[in-house]
Amino acid sequence: MIKIALPAGDLRSPVADVLIGCGLHVEGYGEGSRSYRLAVRGRDDLAVRVFRERDIPIQIALGNYDLGICSLSWVKEMQALFPDQPIVPVCDLGVGAFALYAASSTTAGGRLQDIAGLPTVRIASDYPNLAETFAMAARLPRYRVQSVWGAAEAYPPEDADAVVIAAANEAAVRAHGLLPLHCLLRSSAWLIANAESLRRKQLSSVIAPLMAASQPGSTPHVLLPAPVQSNGARREVTAERNVVRMAIPDGHQQRHVVGALSDAGLQFSGYDDATCVRRPGSGIDGLDVKVVRPHDMPQLVALGQFDIAITGRDCLFEHLHRFPSSPVQELVDLQRGQYNLSAVVTEDLPADTIEDALAYWRGQGKASIRVASEFMGTADYYARSRHLWRYQVMPIAGASEGFVPEDAELLIEGTETGKTLKENRLKPIDLLYRSTTCAIGRKAAALDGPRKAVFDHLLAALQRAGEASGAV
Amino acid sequence: MSDSMRPPGMRDWLPAEMARFRRIEHAFRDVCLGWGYDEVRTPTIEHLHLFTSAGTLSPQMLGRVYSFLDWDGWTGERVVLRPDSTIPVARLYAENETPGAVRKLFYVQNVLRFAQGDESREDWQCGVELIGDTQPMGDIELVLIAGEAVQRLGLDATVKLSAPGILRAVLSRAGYDLPEQLALYDRILEGELSVLDEVAGRISGAGASVRSLLSMEGDGVAYLDNLLSALGSAVPGIERAVADLRAVSETLAEVGRKHTIAPLLVRNFEYYTGPVFHFYVDGVKVGGGGRYDALLGLVGGTDVPASGFALEMEVIASVIGDSVEQGTAVLIRPEAGERAAMAAAFSLASELRSAGLTFRIAGKAESGGGPEIVASAAGFTLRLNGSAPKHLARPADVVSALSDAGL
Repeated sequence: MIKIALPAGDLRSPVADVLIGCGLHVEGYGEGSRSYRLAVRGRDDLAVRVFRERDIPIQIALGNYDLGICSLSWVKEMQALFPDQPIVPVCDLGVGAFALYAASSTTAGGRLQDIAGLPTVRIASDYPNLAETFAMAARLPRYRVQSVWGAAEAYPPEDADAVVIAAANEAAVRAHGLLPLHCLLRSSAWLIANAESLRRKQLSSVIAPLMAASQPGSTPHVLLPAPVQSNGARREVTAERNVVRMAIPDGHQQRHVVGALSDAGLQFSGYDDATCVRRPGSGIDGLDVKVVRPHDMPQLVALGQFDIAITGRDCLFEHLHRFPSSPVQELVDLQRGQYNLSAVVTEDLPADTIEDALAYWRGQGKASIRVASEFMGTADYYARSRHLWRYQVMPIAGASEGFVPEDAELLIEGTETGKTLKENRLKPIDLLYRSTTCAIGRKAAALDGPRKAVFDHLLAALQRAGEASGAV
Repeated sequence: MSDSMRPPGMRDWLPAEMARFRRIEHAFRDVCLGWGYDEVRTPTIEHLHLFTSAGTLSPQMLGRVYSFLDWDGWTGERVVLRPDSTIPVARLYAENETPGAVRKLFYVQNVLRFAQGDESREDWQCGVELIGDTQPMGDIELVLIAGEAVQRLGLDATVKLSAPGILRAVLSRAGYDLPEQLALYDRILEGELSVLDEVAGRISGAGASVRSLLSMEGDGVAYLDNLLSALGSAVPGIERAVADLRAVSETLAEVGRKHTIAPLLVRNFEYYTGPVFHFYVDGVKVGGGGRYDALLGLVGGTDVPASGFALEMEVIASVIGDSVEQGTAVLIRPEAGERAAMAAAFSLASELRSAGLTFRIAGKAESGGGPEIVASAAGFTLRLNGSAPKHLARPADVVSALSDAGL
């Protein structure tokens, strides 16, 4: 059986076209089937699983899949941290082209020398490993990379000095109000293979037709900048802020937050059930509002870039599990968007508790327990505190229900009604905690004057909303 | 996954190996203290940014550091397991000493860098840093200290001197920019000497001898003079590097320290600015160091001239034999089945320690070939090699008997 990992998301349609052109008709793939495991017409020897793109190199490296298709950028992102993973880029499928750019905010300046002179260069990216590689190659004297869950271009200038982002071309970078510094990589969708599978397994019935349809040329390398020569001098940056900054989420949390804000008597223009602009108008003097991915909020609050944020308790706990001394805390439980974060296994496992599951797996001689989760810090904390002994935490970006049992023994997963678990023949065996939407802030935040008044007003309003929601 | 519980590249030091480790450490410390150096130790974890500026670690070394976000790393700034000791000692100096003050420091500590497969990822080093304006005496002093430390271990170290400024000047004169220079530097040090022909072709008047002259090892001042006469007019930038090297070489020759000059020697450390020295035992490199006059300014201090070296303890441990000096350990065995015997055995142990004697309390299955004492509630039975057993009432009597026996 040849196991193939295919991408969900934007690449789905062009990749489906390429596959059909090669005589590989993956049932329901191009049509956007919600099923994670798909059959290939007339090919019983192929098993296809759909993943979020960035999970595919991990699955190929682990040897769970023989072949995969994903943007080369995600392969390079993984190889930036783990250069010796057994992944072989086989051929360029010529679809899904873009480039990865390092770019700076207009205030930071448009040259590497400019940002190198900052006291600390803040780099936001959903390619944190490549951003780290870029910073190191440029020999930035002091920098920090903020790993974000997309929309990194929205961070400068207030919340980052530079970004590493995907864009069609330099004009697209400039359209975000950013100044291109360096093009790191030309990326497109590639067929990739596990090195061991290439060495030992007959894969030619898939590789040959895709090779025939591929673009000629060698594998693009990550192009790194020349080192910036520094004499250690730093530019002075004064950042006196006289407004309260609030972060609110996009994505599935948005509708819960719109409801909570409404209960609190707050209305932000450009942020409702139907619209979401990056910087909504607050209508309150001294209050700036920005839409940020909920996963990224705890770190931004910890850094003092936002005074208050509305996110999920899951995101807060994930941050605190990774960084226990972080100064972020929950301020108000808004009692919306509730779900359980649970340890989940296959229904077929003869165990109803984590202890029984561990005993069963050990009895089966499993050397290591594979734990898959979008919440790596939480999964790692859970595995340690539940004494899983030898374990591997596999980061996943989504489509998580399909991982167990083939690709992981245990899933740390959110469950609202249990319906999705049931559909995927999974069951929860341990409850980690109940997550809800909440407002977060810094412990002992030292606000004073008008900022304190705005902050207190917001907090009181959100507390009323939390109480109102709890009373329903 | 490996079957061992030990991660790849990490090693256990077994008793015989630890004995060698301590011998090296003691020899090194004695020599350093004798030359008026003070011992320091730097943290295992440092900020990554200490090592990222150009002029600190090379990109190759940076690519091997163990860096991670600490438990309080929510700022996104990484920390690193110490990949090098010179840079942390430079930081220690910048943060704790009066700028410009001459400080003579030494350390014994480990460095951690990723390596492929089972190649070592943790290396123990004993090193010296001489910070302050001492050039060229400091460089000479360091070569002599390293030589003495190795000699104390019964080894004879050969010394090779170099100056990265020579190759840098040649590459710069050939018109390469900094990234190209670094790439070429690596290729040359990897043994791709044909690169030097390409480089020579770009320098007008360099002649055909560039490759031969740079890749050979020469004898002291004579070779340096030849190098300067052949290349000095085409690459005037080498004059300073050659002069620095000449000053060191001349004095070393006068004090009888044999050495050779090898222009292509340095790798992976961008911070060396002046003479560099490597030490070899039977052709195996056991350590190296050099001058790093620009480093202090890059780690938060003001520029202060400095130089240092480190000896690789694991490599040295592999070339020194086990020590032949083995003290005779007395075996103390409690009388089997007698509870009070344990107290007697430990009372005797205390007495022997007070007297500075070495012993082992025997395990159940342990037998010794040397002196043996059976402890019981009734006293002690001493068996010396080839003598009849002797009954002694008190621990002090045992000490006297052992002393009489010359132990």
